[in-house]
Amino acid sequence: RHYGGYEYPQAGFVPPDMMQQQQPYTGQIYQPTQGYTPASAQSFYGSNFEDEPPLLEELGINFDHIWQKTLTVLHPLKVADGNIMNETDLAGPMVFCLAFGATLLLAGKIQFGYVYGISAIGCLAMFCLLNLMSVTGVSFGCVASVLGYCLLPMILLSSFAIVCSLQGVMGIILTAGIIGWCSFSASKIFISALAMEGQQLLVAYPCALLYGVFALISVF
Amino acid sequence: VGPGRAGPGAVGLGRAGADTVSAPAQGGGSAVIDMENMDDTSGSSFEDMGEMHQRMKEEEEEEAEGEAGAGEEEDGEFLGMKGLRGQLGRQVADQMWQVGKRQASRAFSLYANIDILRPYFDVEPVQVRARLLESMIPVKMINFPQKIAGELYGPLMLVFTLVAILLHGMKTSDTIIREGTLMGTAIGTCFGYWLGVSSFMYFLAYLCNAQITMVQMLSLLGYGLFGHCITLLVTYNIHFHSLFYIFWLVVGGLSTLRMVAVLVSRTVGHTQRLILCGTLAALHMLFLLYLHFAYHKVVEGILDTLEGPNMPPFQRVARDIPVVSNAVLNTTAKTIALTL
Repeated sequence: RHYGGYEYPQAGFVPPDMMQQQQPYTGQIYQPTQGYTPASAQSFYGSNFEDEPPLLEELGINFDHIWQKTLTVLHPLKVADGNIMNETDLAGPMVFCLAFGATLLLAGKIQFGYVYGISAIGCLAMFCLLNLMSVTGVSFGCVASVLGYCLLPMILLSSFAIVCSLQGVMGIILTAGIIGWCSFSASKIFISALAMEGQQLLVAYPCALLYGVFALISVF
Repeated sequence: VGPGRAGPGAVGLGRAGADTVSAPAQGGGSAVIDMENMDDTSGSSFEDMGEMHQRMKEEEEEEAEGEAGAGEEEDGEFLGMKGLRGQLGRQVADQMWQVGKRQASRAFSLYANIDILRPYFDVEPVQVRARLLESMIPVKMINFPQKIAGELYGPLMLVFTLVAILLHGMKTSDTIIREGTLMGTAIGTCFGYWLGVSSFMYFLAYLCNAQITMVQMLSLLGYGLFGHCITLLVTYNIHFHSLFYIFWLVVGGLSTLRMVAVLVSRTVGHTQRLILCGTLAALHMLFLLYLHFAYHKVVEGILDTLEGPNMPPFQRVARDIPVVSNAVLNTTAKTIALTL
């Protein structure tokens, strides 16, 4: 609903201008339509190479935005801007999932499958819950994006687990702290993006359960 | 059968070959309009339409039959007509695609509409906390139907918490599940209990003429899991059998009493009350017992073997054989401990 009718991912193979040309008939009667096939040919071949947008822009990866969102997550007391989650950006979360799996790998646990599976199921559950709890709806991409960004402190936890075991008292305290940090950031961003006043605890608790499962993978 | 089957295939290939060979001739303004290449100009959109492609092709072949006579007699000026028909075909295919998509999404939204559950998630944190605490306090007044909060957020979160506690317990005790995963087992157990027992109790309540709806039953049973969560959280980390039994009786008993009292207040008739409350109490308490023992016993085994040599052996032996002197017992025990 936030993103209008633009349902195709920014990394799709069809350039946006071609989508609009499909609908109206811009040619003349008894003349073949010029706009269709030649435009696509020109975008991909030879003559318009200099006019192409840069690759990162075409893929929708904006490093400045990624950095801004990362800072918002890392600084738990900073007030979140509701607009930053308007664009669905899955590049950052994908990098964080891979980094989490990589730090687990360094600790001797080959559990990429679990990370992806739990992320997918957790995002789906949070998507259903947030749609039920908020007045305005939320899209799946937004939920996945926020939850992915807030996985960053968990990467700190799993990298700490490489050098020391987390199964002592210090480990429990550290794990609890990191889970709290992740869920606090996630709920803060959700609250500001969905304008759900006074329900931060109600949103933070399911996030805490999800990040708790990730922490369980890191610790054991 | 082999050569016979190769026949149609060869014809198909021949056709495709003819298509590609005559394609370059289109731009040059040929005088002959090849009806077989009709869908070449709008090729990509047709391929995208999936099933519509076949239907559209049949429809256009019918149209082509009618217009073939007129089209073949004309000159290359009618080359544009091929483009027109291609555009028309594309638009019709597009419309059919959108109609199909609209019908599918309408059916989906009718059956998978989670918006019907929306009012049950409209809660404040204060309300949830109050209901959690109330679920441990049995009500005294059973002559008047007690109010049950018909919300699903609290129960759902409690079920997920129970899943997390079970997972934690299984991980700390190194439980190995042979057929399935830890996560799947935990989710299956908890959700199976919540949904299954709620449905069963709702069915019994229907038989016994109790005034309770399905959502209220789900809510009641879900909040009753709060006692389970507390008990398991404590006893999965502090391993004493007696502590578990105390918690089982006190905490489990309190939450059972609360649920029983609420049900009794909503049921008329002695036998019906007995059936409903007996079943609920039995299932609730037995579930807690099952959760503790099924997902935890490996730890008990490890602890026994760990604590064995550390306990002073002569104390045990002294109780069993009081006649033998302490000196003999001490030396025997020390040699045994040394060999271990």
